Amino acid sequence: MNYVIINNKKYELKDIPQDTPILWVLRDYLNMTGTKFGCGVAQCGACTVLLENKAIRSCSTPISEAFSKNITTIENKDDIELKALRIVWRENDVAQCGYCQSGQIINAAGLLKSNANPSNEQIKEAMNGNICRCGTYNKILKAVTTVAKG
Amino acid sequence: MKLTRRDFLKNSTLLTSAFVIGFHLPIKGMAAQLENKKEIIERNAFIKINKDNKITFILGQVEMGQGAYTGIAMCIADELDAFWDEIIFEPAPVKDVYNIPGMPMMLTGGSMSIKTQQQRVRLVGATLRFMLKSAAAKKWKVRVYDVETKDSYVINKRTKEKLSYGSLIDEIKNMPIPSDVKLKEKNEYNLIGTRVKRHPIEVEEKITGKAKFGIDVRLPDMKYAALVQPRVFGAKIKSYDDSKAKNMAGVLKIKQLPNEKIAVIANHWYQAKQASEAIDVVWDNGEFEKISTADLEKEYKSYLGKEDLPIMKKDGDTQTAFDKAFKVVEAEYSFPFLAHAPMEPLNCTVHHQGSKAFMSVGGQFQTLYRGTAAKILGINPENVEYYNNYLGSSFGRRANLSSDFVVDAVLVAKDEAYPIMTLWTREDDIKMGYYRPMTLSHAKMAVDEKGNITAFKADLINQSLTKGTMFESMMFKDGIDKTQREGIEDHPYKISNHDLKAFCPTSPVTVLWLRSVGHTVSAHIVENIIDQAAVSIGADPLDFRIKNLQNPRFVKLLENVAAQSNWYKREKNSGFGVAIAESFGSIVAYIIKVKVENNDYKVQNVWACVDCGMAVNPLGIENQIEGSINFTIGYIKSAQITLTNGAVDQNNFYDYEVNRLKDAPESIKVEIINSGEKIGGIGEVGVPPMFAAVMNALADATGKRYTKFPIKLG
Repeated sequence: MNYVIINNKKYELKDIPQDTPILWVLRDYLNMTGTKFGCGVAQCGACTVLLENKAIRSCSTPISEAFSKNITTIENKDDIELKALRIVWRENDVAQCGYCQSGQIINAAGLLKSNANPSNEQIKEAMNGNICRCGTYNKILKAVTTVAKG
Repeated sequence: MKLTRRDFLKNSTLLTSAFVIGFHLPIKGMAAQLENKKEIIERNAFIKINKDNKITFILGQVEMGQGAYTGIAMCIADELDAFWDEIIFEPAPVKDVYNIPGMPMMLTGGSMSIKTQQQRVRLVGATLRFMLKSAAAKKWKVRVYDVETKDSYVINKRTKEKLSYGSLIDEIKNMPIPSDVKLKEKNEYNLIGTRVKRHPIEVEEKITGKAKFGIDVRLPDMKYAALVQPRVFGAKIKSYDDSKAKNMAGVLKIKQLPNEKIAVIANHWYQAKQASEAIDVVWDNGEFEKISTADLEKEYKSYLGKEDLPIMKKDGDTQTAFDKAFKVVEAEYSFPFLAHAPMEPLNCTVHHQGSKAFMSVGGQFQTLYRGTAAKILGINPENVEYYNNYLGSSFGRRANLSSDFVVDAVLVAKDEAYPIMTLWTREDDIKMGYYRPMTLSHAKMAVDEKGNITAFKADLINQSLTKGTMFESMMFKDGIDKTQREGIEDHPYKISNHDLKAFCPTSPVTVLWLRSVGHTVSAHIVENIIDQAAVSIGADPLDFRIKNLQNPRFVKLLENVAAQSNWYKREKNSGFGVAIAESFGSIVAYIIKVKVENNDYKVQNVWACVDCGMAVNPLGIENQIEGSINFTIGYIKSAQITLTNGAVDQNNFYDYEVNRLKDAPESIKVEIINSGEKIGGIGEVGVPPMFAAVMNALADATGKRYTKFPIKLG
């Protein structure tokens, strides 16, 4: 049977069409609602998860691409980068409505996994795909920069 | 303010182990009529204290990012001396006691939350704290004077013994309620006026994926619906073919709704969405199919300058003033339809169970939405249990007097056996939304040799936000929408000759307020034309404003941003712009610096100063101003809704371009002036002056006046 490993736990996937985007498998089949629907076309980043430690837009990636692979979502309590990011997120009082924040934090974690010390420009480039309608960008940038320097 | 016995309640039905305290304040008008119908005692509840010392605040204001939960909770917790980190928030049910004072409904909007609630919630906190102190003093057989409170405990000053608030609830249950408890003096505040981060429990939920938004509602046996919506405004369904869709995986039912939409109900939303795309609809697009943005622009333009437009404000002798003027400036301003595009797509979950129903949603209008559901289902509103979740932002989109997305969900779930979440796509939101109305305006200003503004003329054309709604009688008078007046007829400058007119054309395009309502447009008209007036006589735009202002609060803010930004030492034509506007009882001044490069521009620095009378949470204010600046930059630079053949051209974030991280200014500095004046709002007030600040900065940098939004150089 096809399976995925989400936050280090194995999930067997029964009766899920293979073209279903990872986002909807997480949200509607597994009821893990931390990963958000924002646009459905990989334009806003709200749905970002890590697939084998790389940030991907789960709204536009079919579940078949994740078979037998590791997915990390915002619900993950153990991931080192996520832990570090949560600390700076609290310190900088980043979140407003909070809806995009799962995607922002996961996307930043993906960046840090590929580059532990990104430059300011690299952070901007990596985070530019994640929309925040509340406009918390200055605080997001500050938070990610803090971890990057740490 | 004085509380009476009936202002409080001890509600044993809510939680047997908890003491619940609430209050009622006399309210006017329609609300007072409602009050007479029912016993107050059933309805008041703001604070719950459990025996285990768990303290819950029940909040009627919704949280959509603006920080209402934290701000209101700070007010209660400070007066109650409750342990901040462990306070739990609970959204209030729909009950009159949570209404905005003076209004017959619960609502979160108009930047009203903290300004309307702080005084009364503080009183509840203070009264409860006094009762807890009295109970503890009695137990210890000491005077109330000999006890103090801290972090949800009463402390015996002499013996240092402690009693938790929770351990005292039996004692206070039958205690007479004091009616004249004093609020803390300013120097006694622990939270109010200090920089408090968003409440840690809310933050934890939002950074771990646990926060529940409307879209996250999950109920046993729940189903999901996607919609087929018209694309031309006013279109009607002629016929449709769902033969392919109804046989698709997971599809349970396809039904046409009475509001010209088709719903696909399925086991999972993605199945419903896929099936909805397989339905072929033949639309009767009606007359509006012939209309595109250029047609509306042409129509709007024909109204400008017409003598018989409804008069907003006419005083003095404008014509003579213009004739005698030293300089006259004029400009035409064009502002597009704008979608709110809240981050969380619109949704609402409804379970219809015969004479009862349950609904779970994130909405700014609880009372109205519950009433809407009850009306459609033909049941009593009291039989609709309403739960309000976090809102994944809103900017007014979830404050729709037409209740559009709620109506859809209720129609979908009506007579169905299971709870159904109806969820819009982003395309639905962009293409079939409610929009901040397209506006065309013209302004003209006269100045004398001494630099005094001598006349102000303006025509403002946009669709009414309130005509045809329940707010019409209150807000639409003599052909003018009240939202057209705000910020323009009450501008802050000394001018004795006015000729201000407005007109509301109609069209099938559905319109709705967007964060800052009328001020979105009025502030850029006033603050741009005055800038042009200043430049026309070679005056410094900031000094020119100060000379013509009448309220010292405004002057103070301008002086503040001038100092922050080194305004007087700026290089000439280096891209500096200034603007100031009052909205929702608060004043915001900006100086900004833009960088123009390669036919594009970027807002590099913003220096802001805010006077909201009394700053309950300076950090929250800073966050709202920062957010408003970024939010507005997207509307200045790129976002717009246009129409071709009656349908919206844009689809999703790839062609409806909102602000992104790279557009965020390099630095935003926010200073707050606590003037001690009447408390104002914060959630929206950072938006209005931003438009004009950028317009003025671009003129400074390029020598050209850009007055058509979104502003593209070239």
